[in-house]
Amino acid sequence: MKVVRGTLLTLVVAVLLLPVYAMFAVSSASDATDLGGFAFDVSQLGEHVSQLFNQGDFPVYLRNSLILALGIGVLEVIFSSAAGYALAQLRFPGSGVLFALIVGTLSLSPIVVLVPMYLIVKELGWINSYQGMIVPFMMSAFGVFLVRQFALAIPHELLLSARVDGASEFRIFVRIAAPLLRPALLTLFLLQFLAQWDNLLWPLIVANDPGLWPLPVGLAQIQTEYDFSIGLVSTAALITAVPPLVLMFLLQRYYVAGLTLGGVRK
Amino acid sequence: MTVSLRLVPPVARVSGKGQRWAEARTGGLLALPAAVYFLVFWLVPFVVAVYLSFTSYDLAGTPEWTGLDNYRRMLGDPGFWNSARVTAAYTVGSVVPSIVLGLAIAVPLSKPGRYNAFLRGLVMIPAAMPLVATSMVWSVIFAEKGLANALIGLVGAAPKPWLTDEGLALWALVIMTTWKHLGLFVIILTAGLQGLPLSVFEAAELDGAGPVRIFYRITLPLLRRTLLFVLVIAVVGAMQSFVPAFLLTKGGPAGATEVLPLYLWATGFGFERMGYASAIAMVLLVAMLLLSLVQFRVLRGGEEG
Repeated sequence: MKVVRGTLLTLVVAVLLLPVYAMFAVSSASDATDLGGFAFDVSQLGEHVSQLFNQGDFPVYLRNSLILALGIGVLEVIFSSAAGYALAQLRFPGSGVLFALIVGTLSLSPIVVLVPMYLIVKELGWINSYQGMIVPFMMSAFGVFLVRQFALAIPHELLLSARVDGASEFRIFVRIAAPLLRPALLTLFLLQFLAQWDNLLWPLIVANDPGLWPLPVGLAQIQTEYDFSIGLVSTAALITAVPPLVLMFLLQRYYVAGLTLGGVRK
Repeated sequence: MTVSLRLVPPVARVSGKGQRWAEARTGGLLALPAAVYFLVFWLVPFVVAVYLSFTSYDLAGTPEWTGLDNYRRMLGDPGFWNSARVTAAYTVGSVVPSIVLGLAIAVPLSKPGRYNAFLRGLVMIPAAMPLVATSMVWSVIFAEKGLANALIGLVGAAPKPWLTDEGLALWALVIMTTWKHLGLFVIILTAGLQGLPLSVFEAAELDGAGPVRIFYRITLPLLRRTLLFVLVIAVVGAMQSFVPAFLLTKGGPAGATEVLPLYLWATGFGFERMGYASAIAMVLLVAMLLLSLVQFRVLRGGEEG
C-alpha cells in the first residue's frame, strides 16, 4: 500500500514537472529540432544564453526587473513593518481610521483601480519612470496586515522595560521589534519580490520606453519579434524563472508560511 | 531628589504624559507613509473609479457626466457579454480541477516522511515559476510541433491547433492555469492537512472507519476553512487573470479567450475609453465581492466560530 502510494505520487509529480523539463528541452533546441522532443543539448543552451546576454535588450530587462523587484521588496518591508508595528503597539491619533482604510483596500485589486491609478501617476509626471513603476506598489494592505498580526504577539512588557531603560520609541522599533518581526518581514519580502518579478500589466501601461521595461514586458515583446527563435525565447523564459526559484528554495519555510496565512486554523 | 525619583514606580513613570506624547509622535511618524500611500494610491483611485464609471472620458478632454449610460451600454455590448462568458468558463474550468486534483495529491502528500517532504519541494516549482515564463513555455507546448501534440500523438490523435482554434484556445489556457495553480493549492492544502489533530484520525481508524469514509466524514469537514481560503483566492485570482490570455492568445481567436481584464485593458488603454473601462472595473469588483460572500456563506454555514 505504502509503496503503491509512493510510486503513484512520484508519477504524478513527474507529470507535473514535465512542462518544466520541456522548458529546458526547448531552450536547448536549435530551430530544426522537433519541439515535442526530449533531447537536451547543453552546448546549444549555453549558446542561447550567451546570445541573450551579448546582443539585444535582454540584459536591460533583467536589470530593470532587479531594480523593481528588489526596490519594491525592500520598500514594502520598511514601510509595512513601520505601519504594522505602529498599529499593533503604539497609541496614536487616527490609528483606527488608518486600520479601517487598510482593511478596506484589502478587497481591491490593481485591475479595479487601474485607470485612476494610471491617471494619478500621469498627473505626478511619472509616466516612463522607475518611480512610476515602483511607488504605486511599494506597500500592500496584506503586508501591513501581516506585520500587525505578528507585532500583536510581541509581549508588551518587553517594550515597557525598554521604555523604563530610557530607549526612545523609534529605537525600540528598530532594535527590539524589527528583529522579532524578522520571519514576517522575510515572508513579505519574498512574496513581493515574486509578485513584482512577474508584474506585466502595470509596467506595460506606464512604461513605453524599452529602456525601462522589466522582463515580463520585454519577454512579451521578444516573443513577437521574428528574429528571435523559439529556443532563444524559451531560454529567456528559463533565465527569468531562475531568481524566483532560487529564492523560493532558500526561503521555502517563509514561502509556505506566507501562502498559508489565513488558510490554516490558528 | 534622587531618593524621591526612585520611589516612583517605573510603570507610572513610563505611562505618564511625556510617554503618551512620545508614543503618539513615533506612532504617527511610522504610520504616516502608509497613510499617505493608501490614501493616494488606493482610496482616491477607488473613489475616482466610481466617479469615472458615470462619465465619458477619453483622456484628451475632461470627464463628462453621463449618469448610468456606461452601465446601460454594457447591457447591450456583445463584447462585454462575450468577455463575461469567457471569464466565467475560464474561472469554473480552472478552479474546479485545480482544487479537486490539488486535494487528491495533497492528502497522500501530507503524510510524514522524508520522501514526501522532498516531493513537496518539487511540487512548489510550478507555483514559484513566474507566470510570464510559464505562459511562454506553454505557448511552445501548444505549438504545432509542441509537447501537447506529441503527447496526444502517442495515443494516435491527430495534431490540434490548440491556440488558434476557437473551441480549443480557452481550454488550452485552462490547462495551463490549472497546472500553475495546482502546485500552489497542494502546498496550502498540505499545510492545512498537517495542522489537523492526529488524534481524531487515530480514533476513527480504531473505530474501523475506512480511508474513503475518513476522507468524507472527517478530513473534508475539518479542512473546511482551508478549502474556503483556497476557493476564494482561486476564484478571485481567475477572475482577474490577465497574463495568460495576453501572452498566449491576445484574446483571440475571434474573442474566444478575451477575458474581462483583457477587455477592460483594451477598452481603457487601447481605445482610451476610461469611463467605460471604469464601469467594467466596478462590475468586476462587485462580482468578485458577491462571489466571495456567497462562498463564505455556503462553506461557513452551520460552523461555529
